[in-house]
Amino acid sequence: MRNEIELEGIIEDYLNGKLTEGEAKAFEELRLNDPSVDHRVVTHKVFLESLQDYAAISELKHKMDHAHAQIDVDALSRKLGPHPSFVVNIWRKNKAALGVAASFILLTMAMLYSIQQNTQQIGSVELMRSELGKIKNSQSSLIRKINSTASEPKNERPANYGGTGFALTANGYVLTNLHVIKDAESITVVDNNGNSYKARVIRTDSQYDLAILKIADDNFTPLSNLPYRLKQNGVAMGDEVYTLGFPKDDAVFNQGYVSSKTGYNGDSTQYQVSIPVNPGNSGGPLLDQHGNIIGVISARQSQVDGATFAVKAKYIQETLNTIPSDSLGKKQVFNKRNSMQNLSKSKIIQKFDDYVFMIKVYK
Amino acid sequence: MSNKLSSSVPTDREVVLGILNNSEDALNKLYTGYFPMVLQFILNNNGDEDDAKDVYQEGIIVLYNKIKGGNFELSSKLKTYIYSVCRRIWLKKLAQQSRKTSNIADFEDVIATEDDVEQHEEKDLQFEKMQAALLHLGEPCKTIIQDFYINNLSMQDICEKFGYTNTDNAKTQKYKCLQRLKKIFFQT
Repeated sequence: MRNEIELEGIIEDYLNGKLTEGEAKAFEELRLNDPSVDHRVVTHKVFLESLQDYAAISELKHKMDHAHAQIDVDALSRKLGPHPSFVVNIWRKNKAALGVAASFILLTMAMLYSIQQNTQQIGSVELMRSELGKIKNSQSSLIRKINSTASEPKNERPANYGGTGFALTANGYVLTNLHVIKDAESITVVDNNGNSYKARVIRTDSQYDLAILKIADDNFTPLSNLPYRLKQNGVAMGDEVYTLGFPKDDAVFNQGYVSSKTGYNGDSTQYQVSIPVNPGNSGGPLLDQHGNIIGVISARQSQVDGATFAVKAKYIQETLNTIPSDSLGKKQVFNKRNSMQNLSKSKIIQKFDDYVFMIKVYK
Repeated sequence: MSNKLSSSVPTDREVVLGILNNSEDALNKLYTGYFPMVLQFILNNNGDEDDAKDVYQEGIIVLYNKIKGGNFELSSKLKTYIYSVCRRIWLKKLAQQSRKTSNIADFEDVIATEDDVEQHEEKDLQFEKMQAALLHLGEPCKTIIQDFYINNLSMQDICEKFGYTNTDNAKTQKYKCLQRLKKIFFQT
């Protein structure tokens, strides 16, 4: 026992370098000769190192605990910690992902909204009367001065509104939409040659949004016999239709098809027509492929492409019937026959051009 | 640059020199300087204040051992190093507790510290072994061993402190204690 203690003392001194040179030499010889001594030296060395590491780390931890005590951890964690609200946390952690998701949802909603608009057609109706820009109008009236015959009446004020109309009779009765000429102070009808004629309102029908004008101008020469007729029945969905109108200062032709036999919100006095129209097309005739008039372009649904409404020809006739027949002149009332029956589309349009007028309205 | 900044976070050079010189002041500055950064990371990644303290202290120990080991090269900012080490330690702990670790919220740059953390884990194992062995040893052996080997008291001091009649008795007692401690330590 005593020897053991002394041996351990010597090993420690040896490891700590406290032995004299001679003693160390003698001890190393002992280690070489006695493996059990050597083993004890090695294990003791490992053990002492572990103990010293332990001591060093313990001391460090002690110092760090001391430093830690100086920190106001609660205040810090309130400042740095996650927000108590779950939602805010989610937001902070997933900003990017949520951003993508949100934009996707927005996009989907926008798409759904537009699809709904398209399918249910709950949009409002825009009347196709154009408000003419003043600059544009002053230019066009200049052009017309050159083209027109000398004695036409001059109205220096530019027109406020414009629409389209077409001849009902050869002697100057013209049909247009009521909303085109409503509240007008004066109305001017312009033919395809640029001649302007004064016109007055003969009849209005607010139920069908129709108005009948009479050209009251000395310069007006009666038209040749109307080549077209009103077709009041037999219009089917899918029928090809055309229109001529004045969304600008020259006649514009458009083509489409009957998409529904009822109009806005199921209005049975109108057709729904898939045809591109613009402000200024109001009052324009809707023709079938043989040149028969089947309706009057009156409105389109806003925010929906290609949903245009046209008052059925039947109601043109009805409005026409309210006018005493003697004032229309018996001979000039609508043709029973369509002389354009077998003409090509471009020929029909060419012929029709003579009977379609631009309506200018001054308020 | 500004006074406030330099007082709250010591320069990297200050820290390394302070650690090499065993400066307690440098340790305090280092500790208080970077604790908020680690606290923020732990709190926002499924941990609490105690977790932050444990992880941060382990991180500082890794830094200490690295600097004391003499093979410390400042290849990055000290801040980045501490953050990366603590991050690694915490993510390992989370994995061990099989807590959720998806979607780590990071606040600083991260560099590779796997080797350092692994070395530390081995050392930490030794530390815990020694701690457990000492605890198991019981009094008065534990204090005698600590006084002699850690606090570097002489046999004479220990003899007086524990009231042994002579140093030989104290030496015998210390020897017995050490044998028992070694046995426990190497057994486990």
